[in-house]
Amino acid sequence: MSTLTKFSAIPYTGPAPTNRQPYVPAEAAAMDTRGAAIAAKVQGLEQELGQDMATFLVDKARIVDVLLALRDHPELQFTLPLDLFGVDYPNRDGARFDLVYQLYSLANNERVRLKVPVGENESVPTSIGVYQAFDWFEREAWDMYGIGFAGHPNLRRILTHENFQGHPLRKDYDPAQRWLLTDQGIATITPKIAPEFQQNEDESDFERVTLNLGPSHPATHGTLRMVVTLDGETIVGSEQEIGYLHRCFEKMSETHTYQQVIPYTDRLNYCSAIINNVGYCMTVEKMLGIESPERANHVRLMLSEFYRISDHIICIGTNLVDMGALTNFWWLFQPREEIIALAESCSGARLLPSYLRIGGIAVDVPEDFLRNAQKIVNMLPKFIDDVEALVMKNRIFRDRVEGVGVISREDAINFGFTGPCLRAVGVPFDVRKSSPYLGYETYDWDVPVAEGGDTYARFLVRFEEMRQSLRILQQAIDRGLPPGPVMVDNPYVALPPKAKVYNEMESLIYHFKLIMHGIQPPVGETYFQVEGGNGEVGFYVISDGTKHPYRVRVRPPCFPIFEAFGKMITGQTIPDAIAALGSLNIIAGELDR
Amino acid sequence: MSNTTRVSPGVVRVEREAMTFADRLYLPQVVGGMFRTLKHLMKNLVNIKRLPTIQYPEVKRVYSERFRGRHILTTREDGTTRCVACYMCSTACPAECITIEAGEDQRTREKFPVRYDIDLLRCVFCGYCVDACPEDAIYMTRDYEMAIDSRARAVVGLRDLVVPPNFPVGPMGWRPYYGEIEKRGTAGGTGIGQPLREAPFEDDAPPNPDVYRGA
Repeated sequence: MSTLTKFSAIPYTGPAPTNRQPYVPAEAAAMDTRGAAIAAKVQGLEQELGQDMATFLVDKARIVDVLLALRDHPELQFTLPLDLFGVDYPNRDGARFDLVYQLYSLANNERVRLKVPVGENESVPTSIGVYQAFDWFEREAWDMYGIGFAGHPNLRRILTHENFQGHPLRKDYDPAQRWLLTDQGIATITPKIAPEFQQNEDESDFERVTLNLGPSHPATHGTLRMVVTLDGETIVGSEQEIGYLHRCFEKMSETHTYQQVIPYTDRLNYCSAIINNVGYCMTVEKMLGIESPERANHVRLMLSEFYRISDHIICIGTNLVDMGALTNFWWLFQPREEIIALAESCSGARLLPSYLRIGGIAVDVPEDFLRNAQKIVNMLPKFIDDVEALVMKNRIFRDRVEGVGVISREDAINFGFTGPCLRAVGVPFDVRKSSPYLGYETYDWDVPVAEGGDTYARFLVRFEEMRQSLRILQQAIDRGLPPGPVMVDNPYVALPPKAKVYNEMESLIYHFKLIMHGIQPPVGETYFQVEGGNGEVGFYVISDGTKHPYRVRVRPPCFPIFEAFGKMITGQTIPDAIAALGSLNIIAGELDR
Repeated sequence: MSNTTRVSPGVVRVEREAMTFADRLYLPQVVGGMFRTLKHLMKNLVNIKRLPTIQYPEVKRVYSERFRGRHILTTREDGTTRCVACYMCSTACPAECITIEAGEDQRTREKFPVRYDIDLLRCVFCGYCVDACPEDAIYMTRDYEMAIDSRARAVVGLRDLVVPPNFPVGPMGWRPYYGEIEKRGTAGGTGIGQPLREAPFEDDAPPNPDVYRGA
């Protein structure tokens, strides 16, 4: 325990800062044992020890075999692809890049990380055949690092502009580099016709028409673009184009300090910004080996749940507007306004609170926090019930959502779906249950699932999830806020209180050190995941012991979901596609980062 | 409301409710929905004074004392700016929107800002500058109406940011501490008895009329 906050002139006597020391995860020993067990079952895995999850080095020639073996092994079943991204080590001996694959096993509730060393101008065999989700992830790795994928059918840039030069996430790419990019010389997108429609082109009465939707379109609720080929009214091929809201989140994180990344994380899923804050802060806290105080965790949990409800409110509200039901949007926005006002009373900002800090929260909640929270919890069920009563038995609504935008259970898993969209195909995967954080395991609540995988099922899941969040919130309010501080007592992480900064030399020095030199986590890498509004939001942070993160990778839940959108709407009509798009809750800020 | 079945501990399945014959007729549900909407309308008509909507701009929403709006630079009792141009705020700023140039007071040998510009179009209003300030110099107000008609106007300088001493707490938003704390050491510099600076501003640009200048 530090003595800094108790006496004036006694310097900090806690543990010394651990920068440039290797990071040893708490679960390293258990993961090494588990990793050895997995390596014994699958050929071609070379274990990397001391990681926070079972980690293996794989030769790039064998990666497809290894992925297949991991997916199909009856005892392992790593069926859900989580993430695929590159990391650049320009000064390393041997291969320059690491290509990192992260997989999840729904059967065993465990994660595995594969690292494939790749040299410059080398390519890796594509793994689309194993996991369809990796189509876009491989394009992203190509775009950001220039890692080639042999056999990829459509290896073009995905997040940056087509005429962009260089690969921005390489360490030798200057972050200040600017390109003037226009619409000159841009290729026209021609969607690939789905196999089931390829034969009957001559039989059709209609000429095939290609239609562009977006990137600026009221029904996309974000800068998304779709190009669809129509046969009459039927969509026979679709291609999605993203990257219009690319803000270089990952590159900018590398040029800023650990604290400065927090406002950036707000802008990922801006409908549930606090959850992103929680994910990022807990990742860095895990790396630092600190735990935020109980009171801060309680506030984090409550605000996360409030923002989850607000996220679902926006999704349901706007989706119903797309189908012509405007009233619900207004009804639902009244409780949302109260939720946002509650967050504003804590953090000072409505949509993008930046309320969390590494090690706790910025300031303690106001005195009437619980009272206002109770008011919202009391008022919300009425609004949810009203909206549900208005639409759920309405025939127009039901005809427009039932059997629309269907994705099968196998496809959803293979595409890397998480969150409400995965639960709508009947898979009860929720990070809050499978690997609880913030004390979710101590609350009595249920994961709602629905059958069918259509727009209607996603509606059912989101409505029920709001009710479950309310259950958690009611229990959290009943327990009351635990007494105590809201920031860790560690001057290498938390800014000292202002009363000390103004009056004590030591505190002023720590204050200066923390602002100028930043938080410096030990050398290593870690991954931590939280349940966002759309699914698993994971942060993968690599530290080299300096004040800047070496690499921050966010796992965007929308990314694989929007990737599968083309498959979901093929064979349906444009109005169905709009209804399905709204129910997926694609947030461009998170999609494009 | 919704019909759920427990499938395993901690997991419930939301059942897809079948449409009854009456539901499929469409009319009863539409009439029911219309009735529900009208109920809301009547309720609002009766309680017209307590409508949740706010008649902006005639009526403005009251934000909390933590609201992160436009910045101000506070002054000491003698009218000098508290800012000592230490660059902490511009270092902490994730958007890199603060530009400071430091000068030295010839008489007191103290540093002070010759130039202090905030580009409000770059600013993300995260409040990190307020947290980083060791001198109690930069605060945020509850002012959120910052509409401008040119990009140049978005850059506000000392003329627009510095407020008179004893600036009222009322319009203040995000600040480094709430309530009273003892300030005897570093904050406020040498403080008492310091002579008033004659010309803290090098440029003589007129103040930006669009921005909030306090009470």
